[in-house]
Amino acid sequence: MELERRRVLQMGGAIAAGAGLTGLTACSGTGGTGATGQGGSAGEKDKGKIAVWSWQGPAAEMKALVPEFNKKYPGIEVTVEDIGNPAIWDKITTGLAAGGQGLADVLHIGVDYLPGYVEKFPGGLADLGPLGANAHRDAFAQGMWQTVSPDGKRVNALPWEANSAGFYYRADLFEKAGVDAGALQTWEETIEAGKEIKAKTGAHLLGIDKPASQADAANFFQMLLQLQGAFYFSLSGDITLDSPEAVKAMTLIKTMNDAGLVSDLAGGWNALMSSLKQGTAAVLPMPTWFGGIIQEQVPEEAGKWKVRLPPAVRRGGSTAATVNSTHLAVAGSSKHQAAAWSFVEFVLTRPASQVQIYKGKGIAPALMAAYDDAVFHEPSPFFGGQKKGEVFLEALKAPSSAFNYTADYARALKLVTDAQSKVLLGGADPAKVLKDAADQLAQQTGRKVSR
Amino acid sequence: MTVTLTGSAARAVPSQGTAPRPRPRRRVAPYLFVLPALLLFAVFKLYPIGRSFVISLHKTVGGTERFVGADNYVRLLHDPLFWTALKNTAVILVVQVPVMLALATGLAVALNSTLLRGRAVFRLGFFLPMVTGLVAYGIIFSVLLNKDYGLVNWVLGLAGLDSVPWLTDPLWAKVSLGLALTWHYTGYNAVILLARLQSVPAELYDAAAVDGAGAWTSFRHVTLPGLRPALLLTTVLSTIGTLQIFDEPFVLTGGGPDNATLTIGVYLYQNAFKYFDFGYASAIAYALAVLIGILGVIQFRFLGEKS
Repeated sequence: MELERRRVLQMGGAIAAGAGLTGLTACSGTGGTGATGQGGSAGEKDKGKIAVWSWQGPAAEMKALVPEFNKKYPGIEVTVEDIGNPAIWDKITTGLAAGGQGLADVLHIGVDYLPGYVEKFPGGLADLGPLGANAHRDAFAQGMWQTVSPDGKRVNALPWEANSAGFYYRADLFEKAGVDAGALQTWEETIEAGKEIKAKTGAHLLGIDKPASQADAANFFQMLLQLQGAFYFSLSGDITLDSPEAVKAMTLIKTMNDAGLVSDLAGGWNALMSSLKQGTAAVLPMPTWFGGIIQEQVPEEAGKWKVRLPPAVRRGGSTAATVNSTHLAVAGSSKHQAAAWSFVEFVLTRPASQVQIYKGKGIAPALMAAYDDAVFHEPSPFFGGQKKGEVFLEALKAPSSAFNYTADYARALKLVTDAQSKVLLGGADPAKVLKDAADQLAQQTGRKVSR
Repeated sequence: MTVTLTGSAARAVPSQGTAPRPRPRRRVAPYLFVLPALLLFAVFKLYPIGRSFVISLHKTVGGTERFVGADNYVRLLHDPLFWTALKNTAVILVVQVPVMLALATGLAVALNSTLLRGRAVFRLGFFLPMVTGLVAYGIIFSVLLNKDYGLVNWVLGLAGLDSVPWLTDPLWAKVSLGLALTWHYTGYNAVILLARLQSVPAELYDAAAVDGAGAWTSFRHVTLPGLRPALLLTTVLSTIGTLQIFDEPFVLTGGGPDNATLTIGVYLYQNAFKYFDFGYASAIAYALAVLIGILGVIQFRFLGEKS
């Protein structure tokens, strides 16, 4: 009898140990109820102590702006923290889920996370409208205001970076293969060029993280979609994962891979960097900010690199797309919202701040007035004397579509990267894997598939 | 009257047959001592467990929590990714845990052997992986197993073998995960088994030897039965640990490629912290807890002492 009781207790222990895991969600899982947005008062515009969360390069650039900021606002003490990317997303999520506890006052947020935060944690981010954001409504690149203020009333953040799709390439390899990179009109032509390059120089056309070891493994696929003005969701929020545009994009990737033109960047960033240093790929289809990275990583290759806007997916199609953006938001729980806003406004709406940041890390501003500065129109010795800033400015000025990331972007992205892995590793049919992904996304989110 | 007696005074009086038994209320001190632990348990375990159940019955729609009853659980049953995660976890459980425990038993017996010199060094060596920081260990394994620049493939190359896509092929990724887990936990289990082994009376081995038992026979009939409680403990702990496994797949493969190493723990994490779907994540946690409970009961039934 005693033994029986002991055994029951032991079993209870096993169950409790299992249930212990539930604490993980419980501790941080109050969903929308916690973040009220009314938690913080606006405070004073020129007084207070504020903390800013960002990552690596941008954090360093903001830190460098603080002394100048303090000349204007001596009463505001600013601490800029480099949380690291992607660690910052988990940290913001847990903070928002905990009703804003422990969050910094100013948060640097990517376009891929912003809609999710806004929808799942109402009030988690302060409305910047009443603080004065609307005065800057027309100051930013096209589509940016729609991203930060989808309903045109609440302003969830202020735009910072607007990254356009770019096509960085090794001009020397193209030359060796006898291909004129500037003349490539479509990605189909580029694939043919890739075959020449592979045959003559041994370099791959480009690289993709085939097993999707990082969430951004589908960047290239997404760029091909966005060049066609398409995305994972329609503007009304329906699923468009298996649209003809998406199938076209994935088919292009499959064609490249089947022709042996895609190197594997499994491992994400580190693999990308070593590929860059070893010159295993002739093209880096990366957005604006990546130019600064190339210059930093392979300074000895100055003059070998060039940049242009990507070829169109279909002949005559668009070569411009804003593939991502980042923003500064103010936490709804901040006790110094007005002071935090002063900092955000200083960094993002003053051309001088943005020019300084561009000089430091090559981070492209969404603030159009910044482009009046000469630095965006100077020839770059690294990029063979090209005016790199103007290349991307052209893209920012071109008509480009707005994209609806929705709160379910992370789920969609996961399904897309899985589908891409199936195509790249197992030779699966693009149309089929995308259809499966769309159906599964519908099952998970309750959204309609638009077909 | 006895109420006023202090504990020591009561004990000073030799107990008579007729003396009243000490009343339970005098045993307040032990409860006071365990109170802080109980409070902490209630706040950090019981409350989250209960709260997480409540959350599992809700869904966030347009920023507000809406009661949806068992919807999240129904959705779970129809979610192919949950079943994939369950299957992957089950594969690890069925393949890796027995291999690891067999290895741990072998190690424990070897480390217990008086024939071995410098046993302390070996014991330390096998236990060290357990205290290695997860991130350090994750990074070391990703470097070792990197397809193009990894040490393991370099060594294979020296032996004239093809390089293996350790982390990038669905099957090999599972194997890599198993290897990492085995490296991490075998020593820990071996130490538990070793502790038990040292309580097996030497006389039993002597008696077996006198009866003419060889090494294998005495292992089967003396060592194994002696190890039984420790084996039960390590099996149950490893089962619970494996079902909750999160760190290794998260750091090594992120659950990929194409969900080949997606475990329930990783899926739970993704739903909570990537998709902000806390209700669904809580439902997954409860499904997991029930599963662990059931498996625990089964293991006690099959491996427990026979009364």
